[in-house]
Amino acid sequence: MTFLRNTLNVIRRELRIWVRRPIYVVGMVFVMAFCTIFYLSFLKDGVPSDVPIAVVDLDRSSTSRNFCQQLDATQLGKVVYYDDFASARADLQGGRVTSLCLIPEGFNRDIQSQRQPTMSFYVNGLYFLGGSLAWKDLLTMINLTSGAVQRQVLRMKGVDENEIMGLLRPVDVDVHQIGNATMNYGAYLANMMIPGMLQMVIVIILIYSLGTELKYGTSRHLLQVAGDDIYTALLGKLILYTVSFTVIGWSVEVLLYKWMGFPLAGSLAEMLLASFLLVLASESVAVLIIGCVPVCRFALSIGALYSVLGLSLTGFTLPVEAMPLGLRGLTMMYPLRYFYEIYVHVGIFDNPFGEWYMYVVALLAFCFLPFFVMGRLKKAYVNLDYARN
Amino acid sequence: MKNSYLGRWLRDVLTIFNMELKNVLHDGGVMIIFIAAGFFYPILYNFVYKNGILEDTPIAVVDNADCSDSRRMIREMDATREIDIAYRCTSMEEARDLFARRKVNGIIYFPSDFGDRLAGRQTATFSIYADMSSFLYYKNLLMGSNFVMLHEVNNIKIERYSFDGLTDAQADQSVNTVLYDDINPYNRAFSYSIFLISAILMLIIQQVMFYGMSMSVGTMREENRSFASLPDSLNGHGVGRVVLGRGAVYWLRFMIIGIYVTCIVPAMFNFPQRGSYGEILVLLSLFVTVCVFFCMTWSTLVTRRESAFILFLFMSPVCVFLTGFSWPTTAFPAFWKYFSYLFPSTFGCQAFINMNTAGADLETVGQLLNSLTVQGMVYFVLACLAIYVENFALKRKDEIDSAIRSVEDSIIEHGEKIGNHIEKRLTR
Repeated sequence: MTFLRNTLNVIRRELRIWVRRPIYVVGMVFVMAFCTIFYLSFLKDGVPSDVPIAVVDLDRSSTSRNFCQQLDATQLGKVVYYDDFASARADLQGGRVTSLCLIPEGFNRDIQSQRQPTMSFYVNGLYFLGGSLAWKDLLTMINLTSGAVQRQVLRMKGVDENEIMGLLRPVDVDVHQIGNATMNYGAYLANMMIPGMLQMVIVIILIYSLGTELKYGTSRHLLQVAGDDIYTALLGKLILYTVSFTVIGWSVEVLLYKWMGFPLAGSLAEMLLASFLLVLASESVAVLIIGCVPVCRFALSIGALYSVLGLSLTGFTLPVEAMPLGLRGLTMMYPLRYFYEIYVHVGIFDNPFGEWYMYVVALLAFCFLPFFVMGRLKKAYVNLDYARN
Repeated sequence: MKNSYLGRWLRDVLTIFNMELKNVLHDGGVMIIFIAAGFFYPILYNFVYKNGILEDTPIAVVDNADCSDSRRMIREMDATREIDIAYRCTSMEEARDLFARRKVNGIIYFPSDFGDRLAGRQTATFSIYADMSSFLYYKNLLMGSNFVMLHEVNNIKIERYSFDGLTDAQADQSVNTVLYDDINPYNRAFSYSIFLISAILMLIIQQVMFYGMSMSVGTMREENRSFASLPDSLNGHGVGRVVLGRGAVYWLRFMIIGIYVTCIVPAMFNFPQRGSYGEILVLLSLFVTVCVFFCMTWSTLVTRRESAFILFLFMSPVCVFLTGFSWPTTAFPAFWKYFSYLFPSTFGCQAFINMNTAGADLETVGQLLNSLTVQGMVYFVLACLAIYVENFALKRKDEIDSAIRSVEDSIIEHGEKIGNHIEKRLTR
């Protein structure tokens, strides 16, 4: 009974701290709300549209004009006309356009007389998405133009319409994007960026919460409230944080898959489970860090360096197998990595639990980490013998 | 000269500069941020993205057509850099199983009528299924199969035209009515590292400066010697001197870090360096100047040492997106477009990408430099203003403190009431 009462007292004490120092609530709720709004609204279009494509039309014939109009009419591209190559190239180099298409002089004449004119197009591959999409758009348009000319010739020859298709396009490919059929860039990034931010916020806030006790020397009071038991003290704090972060994490998941309607093959409940485990594992990492380095500001600096790098090491942009061998092990230090694996199994493939239980085990294994540093943390809390600043 | 306004002004700036320099050097936590983040982060990021390209994505093939054409296409796909045919399956079920168990990241499926349709001079269709858990898998599968398909399409077309009695040259002319050259001069392999690293190098400078300065400012505030406080000898004047004197310390330090980040790190990793050294230096000094005023302005909000991490750490990834290196600037929603103007990194990163990696000169990125300059002027005024206001507040500290305390007390009182209430409920 005393144990329960003590735990309750710790919770009450923590709540009072929240009221006194709004930074906790701001750091949790405001930060997560901002991130959620940012990633959902910034990428809300899913696929960018009207990306400027520079066109230098040296031919100025009906064929080249037609080509430009068609290019302009695609959802992705917006044609920007230039008079000369030099100024277009400068804009390509300056990143104002991501691709450039040069239609040579005599383009139309050469087509008509089957002299195979060469179109040049340049892409600025430093603007990844805009560049690669513009590239795809231009390639499609050139193939269509080429096809249109062929069709005209074949029709004049009196070839049957069915046969024309076979001649124009003997092989075709049917593309199926599993897990994100519309190639929604927003869904792709928000699905991982927002939980990634949650991991970051948990690590930072919890280190701060445990670290300020040391910094302001209130840790003895905390232990006193907890009946001189570090486990009670941590349990009390963690219950409060776990509940708050789980609520935040679940709201995010519901927002993503119900409100935004991002594709999710499996059930939402499984993602909620993953989200809850992410919260537990991230909290454990935070306790480990402050336990190992019981100096508030050092622990915070370490936590910040750790969690910022976590977004890259999760492997949802550049897959882990493309990273150097020595770094792949490092990715295992991040709860988000396992959360991502669970998301792939649940969200994309709807696999049975048997296929991804090991990631659940891995996340649960994180929860053992705090036990290694409990003694150390308690000593620091009692003796307060580390530098406070 | 000695007693002129200018002379005194310069002496004051120097005094403040010395004070601040000592301050920063004595602060271990700040030094850790500067050294660990400033020096190791660029290396670490370069290391993570060192390979940059994903090669040989494992793919499963289901070849129900089993004809010479499909077999040849599979061989050719296997030979591309992008695709590795890891499994040949007899049925779609088998392939789907491998796919779901993540042994492969995609499936290529040739239907049984593929060969017949080719023979019948019709359009033959094959299917690809890509794992969208990372867009790079999709890109690889699509590019690898597209290369092979375009190549095959050409051959088959020429074959079909030749069948109609055209010579090879004639057939080629009828098939390829338009030729094209595709040139991707700055990032030939669409390498992930080249585009990402170019963007984040400058951002690292800005963020490290911000966290470092905020920590140091927060510490001073905690110890009741505000960053903003004017030396007594100035008699309440000299906001500009404080801003410039303190700023010079950070400027100097970050020019060193900046030269390391923008010139040495790329060289260490064999990263393209197409800009001229002198012009990069011009960009860097402008960027660092703007960053100093930017950080001074915003660090006014930081009252305690650690607050910067809690309140602003999440901005780092946000700033990465706001540079417009991935999601194109032209497709930004209006609000975020204006929001991005708040950060020097928005202009600085783009200018650096264009200059260092695409080889642009200062004139080409002139627009970005202009924006950066305007931003710097605005932030200078804001930094001065912030320091002025804070000084004003410091002088009337007691009155303000008592006002804040009464508000705090009432909040705590209410909080305790709520706490008591909850406890009563729980114990009942």
